[in-house]
Amino acid sequence: MVRTQLLVVGGGPAGLCGAIEASKRGVETLIVDEGVELGGQLVKQTHKFFGHEGFYASVRGFEIAKKLKDQLNEHVKIMLQTTVTGIYEDVVVLYDRQNDVTLEVQADYILLATGASERFIQFENNHLPGVYGAGAVQTLMNQFMVLPGKRFLMVGSGNIGLIVSYQLLQAGAEVAAIVEIADKVGGYDVHLRKVKRFGIPILLRHTIKKALGQERVTGAVVVQVDENFQPIEGTEKEFAVDAICIATGLVPSVELAAMANVKIEYVPELGGFVPYRDQNMRTNVEHVFIAGDLAGIEEATTAMIEGRIAGLTIAQLIKEIDLSKEIESLQKELIEFRSGPFSEKVRRGLAKFFPQRVVEYSREPQTDTGPIGKLRPVIECYENIPCNPCQTSCPTGAIEVPKNINSLPRIDYEKCTGCGICVSKCPGLAIFMVQENVEPGFDLVIVPYEMLPLPEKGERVIALDRDGKYVCEAQVIKIVRFPHKTNLVHLKVPAGFAAQVRNFRVKKRESVFVCKCEEVTLEEIEKAIDLGFTDYEELRRYLRVGMGMCGGRTCRASVLSILSRRLGKSPEELLKGHFRPPVMPTKFESILRGESNEN
Amino acid sequence: MRRIFEHPILKRETARTVRFYFEGRELEALEGETVAAALIANGIDVFGETEHARPRGFFCAIGKCSSCLMVVDGEPNVRVCITPVKEGMKVQRQFGRSDVSW
Ligand code: SF4
Ligand code: SF4
Ligand code: FES
Repeated sequence: MVRTQLLVVGGGPAGLCGAIEASKRGVETLIVDEGVELGGQLVKQTHKFFGHEGFYASVRGFEIAKKLKDQLNEHVKIMLQTTVTGIYEDVVVLYDRQNDVTLEVQADYILLATGASERFIQFENNHLPGVYGAGAVQTLMNQFMVLPGKRFLMVGSGNIGLIVSYQLLQAGAEVAAIVEIADKVGGYDVHLRKVKRFGIPILLRHTIKKALGQERVTGAVVVQVDENFQPIEGTEKEFAVDAICIATGLVPSVELAAMANVKIEYVPELGGFVPYRDQNMRTNVEHVFIAGDLAGIEEATTAMIEGRIAGLTIAQLIKEIDLSKEIESLQKELIEFRSGPFSEKVRRGLAKFFPQRVVEYSREPQTDTGPIGKLRPVIECYENIPCNPCQTSCPTGAIEVPKNINSLPRIDYEKCTGCGICVSKCPGLAIFMVQENVEPGFDLVIVPYEMLPLPEKGERVIALDRDGKYVCEAQVIKIVRFPHKTNLVHLKVPAGFAAQVRNFRVKKRESVFVCKCEEVTLEEIEKAIDLGFTDYEELRRYLRVGMGMCGGRTCRASVLSILSRRLGKSPEELLKGHFRPPVMPTKFESILRGESNEN
Repeated sequence: MRRIFEHPILKRETARTVRFYFEGRELEALEGETVAAALIANGIDVFGETEHARPRGFFCAIGKCSSCLMVVDGEPNVRVCITPVKEGMKVQRQFGRSDVSW
C-alpha cells in the first residue's frame, strides 16, 4: 500500500500544473501516467501556443512540457507506464506495466486529469490500418519522428485538423485535402490561413464515405453532403492517399471519475459526458477534483489554468493556508480566456454547472495597412482569439490588443521601427512585413517560414498568394533565422505585388534525372534502394519511376543498371519488371470510338 | 524507412539502436520509442487481425483505443503504442483475442 496526500492521474498539462501548484506548497504528490513520457499531448505539439506569456504563449508545446516538468519538486513522485485501473471507496488500484504488478494507493485527494480520446466516426472500412486519429499521427511524427504515410486525407477542420495538416507538410508529407462536413471551417482563422497558403484544398460540406484498400489504406472516397449532413449521391471523389487522419473531435475520458462516484452529466457543448465540477474544479465527491479535457474539451491553456486552480484548492485544504487570492486571479484569467466567440459553446456548457461571466473586448480590425513605402508589418489576424504575443513582444509598444486578450491587434505605424520581432513571435504566423519600392521596380515582402528546405540567399523562388496560388517569381534576398525556428524570409518581388505575396515555394534544385517524365532523380532512386526497395517494380510503385508518358523506355535500363550497381548483382539476376499495355498513352475517347465503329 | 530525418522544428536526438524481432524478422528500432512507432518506421502497418480476419493497425497511439494489441514476448493483448521497444523483444501479430494469460 502506497500513501500519498495527492494522487494526480494523468501527467498532461492539467495534471502537471495541478501537481506543480500543490507540490510548491509542500503537498506530497504522486503523478501516475500511462505513457512513456510526462507532458501528455504537449510532447507532440510543435506549434507555438496562443494566449499570453504568463501561460507560455509563443512557446512550442513540447518546450512547454519541459518547462512544466522542471517546476516539479522533491515532493512529487512519478510513475510512468502505469495505469489507474480502478477507483474504489477506500483505495485506488494501479497497474505498473514495467514491473507487471498492481499496487494500491491511498490518497487524501485525487486530481483526475485523464484527458480525452479521439472521436471515432463511421465510414466503410474505417478499421483499415492507415486510418489514424489525428493525435496518433502527431505522436508518431512529432514525438517519435516516424511518418506513417506519404499522402494524407484529413477529415475535420477544427484546430487539430488544421494544425496536424500543417505539421504534416513540415514533416515532408502531402495533404491531399481537408474535408469538413460543416459549411465552415471549425478551427482558428489563422491556422486555416497557414494551410491555405500552401495550397491545401479545403472541401466544405464534404465527408469521408469509404477507405479503399485490402490490407491497408490505399485511397479514400469523399462525398458531398446536404444540409442534413446526408451524402449526395453522384458527388463522390476518389483520392489516392495512403493514410486517413480523423480529426473529428475528442471525447472526455470519464471512466475513472464515474468510478469515484462523480456525477456524470451529458453536456454536448463540453464534448459529451463530462463530470460535474464547480469553479474550483471540485466534483460532487469532496476529495475528487478534475481538470483539463476531462472537464470539457478545450485547449491546453485552459487545461493548465484549471490544473493550477485544482492544485491550489487542494493545497489550501491540506495545508490549511489561504490561497484564495491566487485562485481568484486564475479564475479571472479563465473568464478572460473564455470571453471570445470561440468559447461561446464552452460557456454555454459550463453554464449548466455555474454562472458564466464575460469581459468586453474590441472587434475592430485594423483597416489601414500603413504608410506606403515604409518598411512595416501588416497584421492579418481577423478573428477574436485569446492571443497577444504580438503586443507583448513589440519593443516599442507599437502593437496594442486593446481592453482584453480577445481583441484584435492594432498597430500604430508611427511607433513601429520595422524590427520584425512581432512577425517571428506571432504563433498564428499572421504578421508579414512589406515595403513598396524597396528598389526601383521591386517591393519587399517578409514572410515567416517554418518549412524545409530553406532557400538560399539569392535563390529564385515561386511567390504564392494567400491561397497558395502562383503570383510571380521572387528572389530571396535575406533569411533571418531565429532560435525558435520561425525564420523570416525576405523576398524581392516585382513592384505592385507586395500586398499579394504571402508565401513561396522553393524551386526544385538542379539534379541528375533518371526519369524525366515523373521527375525522379538519381539521388532518390539510390536512397530508395538503400531503404530496402530492391526491384524495379517496387521502385516503380514507390517513386513512380517509369510510370510517365514514355512508359519507361527512357529510364528502365538506367534504373536496372543503378540497381545492379547498388546491390552488386549482375543484370541477369534482376527482375526486369512487367511490360504492360498500352505501349503509348491512348485516349479513352479513341478506345470508345473504336467500340462504336464495330456496331 | 519511414523516419523523418530532417525537420524544420524538431531535432533528432541520436538514440541507440536496438534490435527486436517481428515474427522472426530482425528489425531495428531506436531506444525510447514505442513498439508501434518502431513497427511503422519499418513499414509494418498491420498489427494483427480481428476475430473475423480483418486487418488491424493502430489508431490512437496513446493507449486508449485497444486497436494495437499484439503479442509481445509471448504475452497477448499488449498495447504496443505505449510499450517501449526493448533489445531482443519478440513481437507478433495478434489474431482475434489470442490466448489469455493469467
Ligand atoms: S516590427 Fe518591431 S517595432 Fe514594428 S510592430 Fe513589429 S515588433 Fe513592434
Ligand atoms: S497577430 Fe497577435 S493576436 Fe493575432 S495570432 Fe498573431 S500574436 Fe496572436
Ligand atoms: S493505438 Fe490505441 S491503444 Fe494503442
